[in-house]
Amino acid sequence: MFKAIKYVISENVGNLYRIFTISKYTITADIHDSKLGLFWNFANPLIQVMTYWFLFGIVFQRKAVGDIPYLPWMLTGMAVWFFLSPCITNGCNAIFQKAGVISKMKFPVSILPATVIFVEFFNHICFMIITIIGLLLFGFYPSIYWLELIYYMAAAILFAISLALVMSVLNMIARDVRKFVLAIMRLLLYLTPILWDIKTLPKNLQFIMKCNPIFYIVTGYRDCFFYHRGILFYHKQMALFFAITLTLFAIGSTLMYRFKTRFIDLL
Amino acid sequence: MLEDILYDNNEYAVIFDNVSKIYRLNDKGHKTPRDFYALRDVSFKIKKGEVCGLLGINGSGKSTLSMILAGIQSPSKGTVTINGHQEMVAIQAGLNGQLTGYENIDYKGALLGLSKNKIKEIKDVVCEFSEIGEFLDQPVKKYSSGMKSRLGFSISLALDPDIYIIDEALSVGDKAFADKCLDKMNELKNNSKKTIIFISHSLQQSRSFCDTAIWLDGGKVRRMGPMDIICHNYSYYIHYYQDLSPEGKKKENQSRFDARVEEVKRKGLHSIFRG
Repeated sequence: MFKAIKYVISENVGNLYRIFTISKYTITADIHDSKLGLFWNFANPLIQVMTYWFLFGIVFQRKAVGDIPYLPWMLTGMAVWFFLSPCITNGCNAIFQKAGVISKMKFPVSILPATVIFVEFFNHICFMIITIIGLLLFGFYPSIYWLELIYYMAAAILFAISLALVMSVLNMIARDVRKFVLAIMRLLLYLTPILWDIKTLPKNLQFIMKCNPIFYIVTGYRDCFFYHRGILFYHKQMALFFAITLTLFAIGSTLMYRFKTRFIDLL
Repeated sequence: MLEDILYDNNEYAVIFDNVSKIYRLNDKGHKTPRDFYALRDVSFKIKKGEVCGLLGINGSGKSTLSMILAGIQSPSKGTVTINGHQEMVAIQAGLNGQLTGYENIDYKGALLGLSKNKIKEIKDVVCEFSEIGEFLDQPVKKYSSGMKSRLGFSISLALDPDIYIIDEALSVGDKAFADKCLDKMNELKNNSKKTIIFISHSLQQSRSFCDTAIWLDGGKVRRMGPMDIICHNYSYYIHYYQDLSPEGKKKENQSRFDARVEEVKRKGLHSIFRG
């Protein structure tokens, strides 16, 4: 197992330029694809946020969560969700969608999850620009706590890559995995306290919700912008988050190492 | 004795020792699962600086062999020894239709694992060799298939490995460009002493270019040796095969298929996870 972890880490670190270039040109190709290009990277999330805001903020008349108005509160949660959700669904496809490449040239397959995550991270930065404009409009101004974002983004990337390592290999063994994950993700949006406050739940259910790694990131983002309690305030969730992430990374690396020469047979 | 063997093997760029590649057939009608031998006990050696042609009709295992040579696939049985760095010249792979020709040089270069500086270095060479000119600023989806392969081939050529594997790379594009590529390959062969493994359905091309040949038939090596002799035998066989009646061809193909298939004991799901 340690051999596998070492193998995946060294392959990823040794190919940083390759990862960066593949991600960059995936984004460039996507931008060339449409007439308005980069506009859609902003318009798409904006429209989605408006939809949820209309539904929950206006139709269901959601009240402020604690002292925080509903829209900025939801916006920060959605920012995380619209980063991690495509990371997970596209992460499943990371290897399969590059079938044309891995069957035609010697290619370090274990870097593919990272390339997908960095494409999504670019989209996330676009979303964050919208979020920050929204927050400024609501009177939440930059503070030193915003620097925590760097930590939470890094944590989210680490988690997304680890999960994508596992899922992309499993999806090569059986393509059903992605279909299953797509269905689960639709459910998970409502099962994660993003659109509703966790305090509305009974204590024992709250505990289960707090185990969700996605919720740890959501909590972290909200802490940066609203609560200012600091990273160590959530040390229990943090420990659990990294336990889950490292376990996923170990499993993902082991799978990757075991299958590295056999992906073509699985196409 | 041992030193002899070591010294001996150092002369070779490629050594295949009893290599087999087995696929599990995906058939529902059969009670027992069957294995298909894409390659069966293939052994050969290719000397450094040699240009070796792979001959064989469709489905004889040429592409599987070239994939194993390139390190893209691993053999099911046997050992493969490669002395040096090998690279498959994949022309169309790794081009992105949305990107321009220039961007594709960066993109495919990165896919192939070139460093930033190396890509910068090869850019001019690729632009010149591919003869695409003004179109380099256009998205590749607008290219004709000939232009696409010219771009892809030029990038692959810039890789500069010790061992080139060229699988049908010259069969697309016009005659003039194919000749240009062939000239370039001849230059590599004569001046840089590169080892080249060449796969082409054009016997004429293979004959003029290769020193030796391996003739694959039904996943096995049927004959190997100097190009002239093998080529003669092979073209004789091709004529024989072409002259067969449709039934005769069918029969021949069936018997060839049967010889490559073997029934195996059913294994559980866990067999997927074992190597």
